[in-house]
Amino acid sequence: MTARNSTAHTLDFTIDTLGWKAWITPVDHDAATPAQIKALSGLPSKLRTIPYSLVLAHDPEALAERVPLFNTIMSAPGGLPVAERELATLVESVANGCVYCASVHGRRFADLTGEPEIIQSIYDEGFDTPLSARRRAIVDFAVKLSATPPTVAAEDIAALGEAGLDELEILDLIQAVAMFAWANRLMLTLGEPVPATAAAA
Amino acid sequence: MTATLESDIIDTVAGLDPDSLLAVLRRRRPEALRHTEGSYQALLHPADTGGVTAAERAAIARRVAELNLDTALGAHYASVGAEAAGEAEPGRLGVILNHVDLLTREPKAATPADLDALRTAGLTDRDIVMVSQLVAFINHQVRLLAGFRLLGAAS
Repeated sequence: MTARNSTAHTLDFTIDTLGWKAWITPVDHDAATPAQIKALSGLPSKLRTIPYSLVLAHDPEALAERVPLFNTIMSAPGGLPVAERELATLVESVANGCVYCASVHGRRFADLTGEPEIIQSIYDEGFDTPLSARRRAIVDFAVKLSATPPTVAAEDIAALGEAGLDELEILDLIQAVAMFAWANRLMLTLGEPVPATAAAA
Repeated sequence: MTATLESDIIDTVAGLDPDSLLAVLRRRRPEALRHTEGSYQALLHPADTGGVTAAERAAIARRVAELNLDTALGAHYASVGAEAAGEAEPGRLGVILNHVDLLTREPKAATPADLDALRTAGLTDRDIVMVSQLVAFINHQVRLLAGFRLLGAAS
C-alpha cells in the first residue's frame, strides 16, 4: 500500500459485508481502562473489538450512554417493527452517503423481510422507486428528517398516520432517524469503508 | 412515578409540558429517554472533559444547532456557553468549527486530512473523538426536536 488514498467514495452501495478502517488509532483492547471495558461491555461480544468500537472507546463516558441508547432505539419490543427501523436507517445512510452503514442495515432489512430486492431497487433507482404506501411514507419521512436542516412538516406526520403508523410507531421512527444522524456522521468522519478482505488484513 | 416525569433537556427545549400527550408517549421508551439525557450530560457536562473545554463544547453545540436552523436549541447552547468554564481560543476554535461544519453539512466529504488539521490545532485523538461524538449527538438532538415538535402539534 502506498499513499493513504481514501476509498470512501469509490465503493458502491451494497448489502454484502464490508470492513471499516479507522483514521484514528483505536484503543488497544488489552490495555483498555476499566471505564473503557465497561462502556464496550454493552455491545454484543463480536463488536467489542472491532476498530469502530475501539475508536469510540477513546471517550468512554459518551460511549457508555450511546451503546444502550442505540440498542433500545433499534431493538426495543413493540412499536415500529424492527424491519421498518432498519429501512428508515438504510434510507438515511444512503442519503448521507454512508456506504458502510447502508451495508449493515440494508442487510438486516433483507434478513428480516426476505426482500433484498427492495434495498437493491433503492440503490439502483433512488428513493422514488415504487414502494407500498406504508414504506413510501416511512422512506419520505426518513429522507426529510435526515436532511440538514431537516425539512419535515406537519403533512409528513399526517402521511405516516394515513399509512397506518400509530403514535408510538412514529416516535420510534423519529428516534431511529435521529440515532443515525449520529451514527452516519461518526462512521463517515472517523474512518472509511473497505472491502471485507482488506479489513481482515 | 413522578421521578420519571421530570422534564429532560428535550422536553425543556421543545417546550413540552411533562403531562402532555407527547411527553407521556416518550416515557413509553424509558431507556431511550434515560440515555438521551445521559448522552447530553456525558458530552456537554462530562466528569472528564479531556482536552475539550466546556466553553468549546458549548460553542460546538451552538454551531450545530444554528446550522440546522434550530433557534431554540441554539439559544439553549448560547446560555450554556455563557456559564461554561474554560476558554475557547479563537484560532483553535475556528479550526474546530470548520470541522463542525463539515460533519454537520457534508460528512461524506471528510478525509483523513481533516483530522490532521485538528491535530495541528492541538487536538489529541481522544479530543477528536470527543468533538466528533458531540457534533454527531447534537445532529441527533436536532432531529429528535424537529420530529417531536411536529408529533406534539399533531397529538
